Amino acid sequence: MRRSTGWHWSIGLLALLVSLGSDRFVALSVARAEDLDELQEKTIKTAVRKIAPCVVQIETQGGTELVATGPSRPGAPPGIRLGTGPTTGLIVHADGYVISSAYNFANKPQAIHVRVPGHKEAYVAEIVANDQTRMLTLLKLVGVTGKLPVPLTVAKSEMLIGQTSLAVGRTLIGQVDQMPSVSVGIVSALHRIWGKAIQTDAKISPTNYGGPLVDLNGRVQGVLVPASPRTEGETAGFEWYDSGIGFAIPLEDVNRVLPRMLKGTAKEVVTLKRGLLGITMPQQQGQDEHAAPTKIASLAPGSAAEKSGLKVGDVIKEIDGKPIDNQAQLKQLMGPKYDSDAVVLKVQRDKDELKFELKLEGVVASYPQPFLGILPLRDDPEAGVEVRFVYPGSPADKGGVKAGDRLTKIGRAMPPAPVRMTPIANRDQLMDMLETTMPGLELSFEVKRAGGKKTETLKIKLGEMPDTVPTKTELPEKSSAKKALTKPKGIGPKPPEPPKKDDKKEPKKEEKKAELGFLKRTTAAADHSYWIYVPENYDPNVAHAVLVWLHPPGKNKEKDIEKFCESWQLRYTCEDYHLILVCPKAESDLGGWTRSESEFVQEAVKAVTDTYTVDRRRIIAHGMDQGGEMAFSLGFRSRGLFRGVATTGAALSGNVRDKTTGQPLSFFLIVGDKDPLLDAVKESNGKLKERKYPVIYREIKDMGRQYIDSRIGIDTLEEVARWIDSLDRM
Amino acid sequence: MKRLQSSLALSILASILAATATTARGEESFAQICDKVNPKLVKLFGAGGFRGLASYGSGAIVSPDGYILTVNSHILDTQDLRVHLSDGTPYHAKIVAIEPELDVALVKIGDNKNKVEDLPYFDVVEAAKRPPVEPGTGVLAFSNQFQIATRDEPMSIQRGVVASYSRLYGRIGIFEATYKGDVYVVDAITNNPGAGGGALTTRKGELLALIGKELRNELTNTWINYAIPISARITVSQADGNPATVSILDVLEKKEKYKPLTLPKKNEGPGVYTGIILVADPVERTPPFIEDVVPGSPADNAKLQADDLIVYVDGILVGDIHAYNDVLSRYHPNQTVKLEIQRDRKLQTISLKLDKPKTKKTPDKK
Repeated sequence: MRRSTGWHWSIGLLALLVSLGSDRFVALSVARAEDLDELQEKTIKTAVRKIAPCVVQIETQGGTELVATGPSRPGAPPGIRLGTGPTTGLIVHADGYVISSAYNFANKPQAIHVRVPGHKEAYVAEIVANDQTRMLTLLKLVGVTGKLPVPLTVAKSEMLIGQTSLAVGRTLIGQVDQMPSVSVGIVSALHRIWGKAIQTDAKISPTNYGGPLVDLNGRVQGVLVPASPRTEGETAGFEWYDSGIGFAIPLEDVNRVLPRMLKGTAKEVVTLKRGLLGITMPQQQGQDEHAAPTKIASLAPGSAAEKSGLKVGDVIKEIDGKPIDNQAQLKQLMGPKYDSDAVVLKVQRDKDELKFELKLEGVVASYPQPFLGILPLRDDPEAGVEVRFVYPGSPADKGGVKAGDRLTKIGRAMPPAPVRMTPIANRDQLMDMLETTMPGLELSFEVKRAGGKKTETLKIKLGEMPDTVPTKTELPEKSSAKKALTKPKGIGPKPPEPPKKDDKKEPKKEEKKAELGFLKRTTAAADHSYWIYVPENYDPNVAHAVLVWLHPPGKNKEKDIEKFCESWQLRYTCEDYHLILVCPKAESDLGGWTRSESEFVQEAVKAVTDTYTVDRRRIIAHGMDQGGEMAFSLGFRSRGLFRGVATTGAALSGNVRDKTTGQPLSFFLIVGDKDPLLDAVKESNGKLKERKYPVIYREIKDMGRQYIDSRIGIDTLEEVARWIDSLDRM
Repeated sequence: MKRLQSSLALSILASILAATATTARGEESFAQICDKVNPKLVKLFGAGGFRGLASYGSGAIVSPDGYILTVNSHILDTQDLRVHLSDGTPYHAKIVAIEPELDVALVKIGDNKNKVEDLPYFDVVEAAKRPPVEPGTGVLAFSNQFQIATRDEPMSIQRGVVASYSRLYGRIGIFEATYKGDVYVVDAITNNPGAGGGALTTRKGELLALIGKELRNELTNTWINYAIPISARITVSQADGNPATVSILDVLEKKEKYKPLTLPKKNEGPGVYTGIILVADPVERTPPFIEDVVPGSPADNAKLQADDLIVYVDGILVGDIHAYNDVLSRYHPNQTVKLEIQRDRKLQTISLKLDKPKTKKTPDKK
């Protein structure tokens, strides 16, 4: 269309020129077109020269070989290797402060040196601040005061889509006094990555991460970083390098928080965190966040939201005067906020519109999971909960609960009112009730003693969920009353929803004899396949736990999966512990899992829960290598489905997500002491414990990057089975 | 009043006309450049087609009688090398010379029976004389990447700028790329299957460089888009220890008479002694921290001490112990190196006179 118009005009012009009797004009316009290119080229080079004195070269020594990444990248496991070359930074303060991308330090180097244009010697540099929201790192050049040039900033209000942007870096060029490398593009979008970044189509990669994105006047638009709207962490978004999708954090935003970052020192590194409200909102499986309502489902104790007086059920209508009606908009407006930022919320409570002013906090205090100290007998239609096992030394043990007792009523003192006892319907109801309490709470239980008809009331003060697994001798073999298909007799006080066991009583399970053994399955759309192993002693009256195996990259052949299942056969583990294995197949033969495959994994699990009797409180994601990273990701994202994550030789990528009330998640981390990821797995253990998740950590002697088999770690495998068996501990 | 309005309208019209014409003619001049460059390029077909290796490539005609410059790649590993000229004419080609140090090859179409004459060609002598262009300079890349062009179809053209003119630290899998001279890195994604041997030109179609292969950049561990400059000229150390220069121009001038140099497999020096004892190296990237120095050794004389971190050796960063040993192995006894060490959060420069290795070669490791 445009071309034809062009022709039209050209012909018109030609006619005009002919009528003027001159073709000099044509020559002139060709020259002009070339001038324009030349002029742009000159402008680009001038702009790069202008910014060059502010762009430094960063060199590091030591650090880890590999940096763990998320399962979003269908590439080489189990992490990425940073380059060996120098990286880029931008001077932001004359006293020797340099901002850079956190990517450049993701391997935790032991020494950092910075070369500054025009300075003969390199400087020792130290990390003094990290911005976790925008993945930036601030360096201080030791001994430098008041002599470095600081760039000019382009105001955000001035930036327009389509403006030229130049990405400048110092990785490729050996000498810091030479002109830096440059890639030319435009501003593709503004307010990306939940309102935090500028998008550009210049080629952004490790050659310029940490460098500036500059305009044609040599002023800085932003600081180049890898970024992704879906994942967090130093390396998130790296997979988009050089693709024409690149990001920069506006320098204006960096300058705004710079005074806080400048307070940091090497000994006391300042960490800027995301500003959190401390609320959760209902997240239904598969619901689009652009349609999900902004109704508060829970408030974290001590959080900004709770302190301000917000309540469960409030619907957020406005943030800082901007109206919102779905969770995506809330995320977009809250995304750029830091801890200690102020925010004004307008909420709907019943018929009233109320206004709240909050000071955001960087962390929502995590509380350990409350613990009574018992394992329940499963598949029991009788009212109440029969105690299968009492953890030695637990609150239940101290309170006098014995195995075989039946807990029939629960009561909580609500001074000044006396304790009100309410009947316990079944295991799931008791678990739900306990999960919303906190350690330290004193509860009363009515207990019907085993054998006799004697009923007692015991007072028990809840403790913290321990990181222990019952030993083989401790754990009673009888785990189930084997009456999963019998209609439950227990009726809760006010059952908010029908007991979940109803799901399992679809008549088809009884009518049709379920297939057993090692079976291959495909999804309804036939676009994915998976294998399942159902133990030969399967009994529909026993609720089975489900272990979802997320294989390491490349191990997606039937023989690989069979080998995995064999490991679990060695001691009849599946039979003894009533365990169904589900083994989805990642499509990529070389790479590993992609994030989009998580939906298929969930579909596979659902197909199994529809066909067999499954205990929904004991579905766990188990993975090795990058499959382990997928297991972490599934665990954090599909809390409604998974209650446990067990990994072998896999480290957490990105930040640990907060606990969600009512959807407990437990972890079992296995690593060989010869595994290069050993330190990273140890660190993951620490991070999870920091957030008060129950974690079991097992280091296997003389094991490298491999899966447990008959020769090594088989006892740990059985421990995992016992851990799964005890996941309905409370 | 009325007249003023109409003349205003006329002048606006005129300026619109002028602007549109400029674009149209500008694009036309670009098209002319492509028409000028395309006949100087050929499509190559040879070995490959398995393990993800392409069996096609690109090449640049460098003489009217059918000499073609391309990159040294697996596709040349065949008895049946074929060339398609820009007009689609097919030829069998033979390999004239290969220079592994520069990663280039010269092939020829036509012979005495079947003479090739008057082909359009790139003036490589002039190209070799052209000084390197700066980062930010606009460039065009011509190649038959992904074999999109068939027979007489013109090459795929990409536009970009020179990102840098700097040393290549390339890798193919775990192997280092043979060529280690300066290259143009471009900000367009030029290095794809079949692109090797294509032309990188200025905006005016003047030859700058030969598009390289698909390599990963060791500095960043990412794929790199680079081109080997026609002016490439590197100095290498021969088996007898004497330096020699190799250049693309030399290959093009000597043609059939060109002989690649015989080079030692690995540059193994006699080894040197410093008296530095480094910390143990349990992980792959342990920085070269000094654990101890041998009394009376060169290190002791230079006042190096325990806990010093060696950062640069003659300006080269030694990121870990492996890199330090590698750099030091290139030196000879009696040479003096400048070490920059980190001590008490400051960098200090120290001169270290290297000694002959002790009777038993003492590695710099405990």
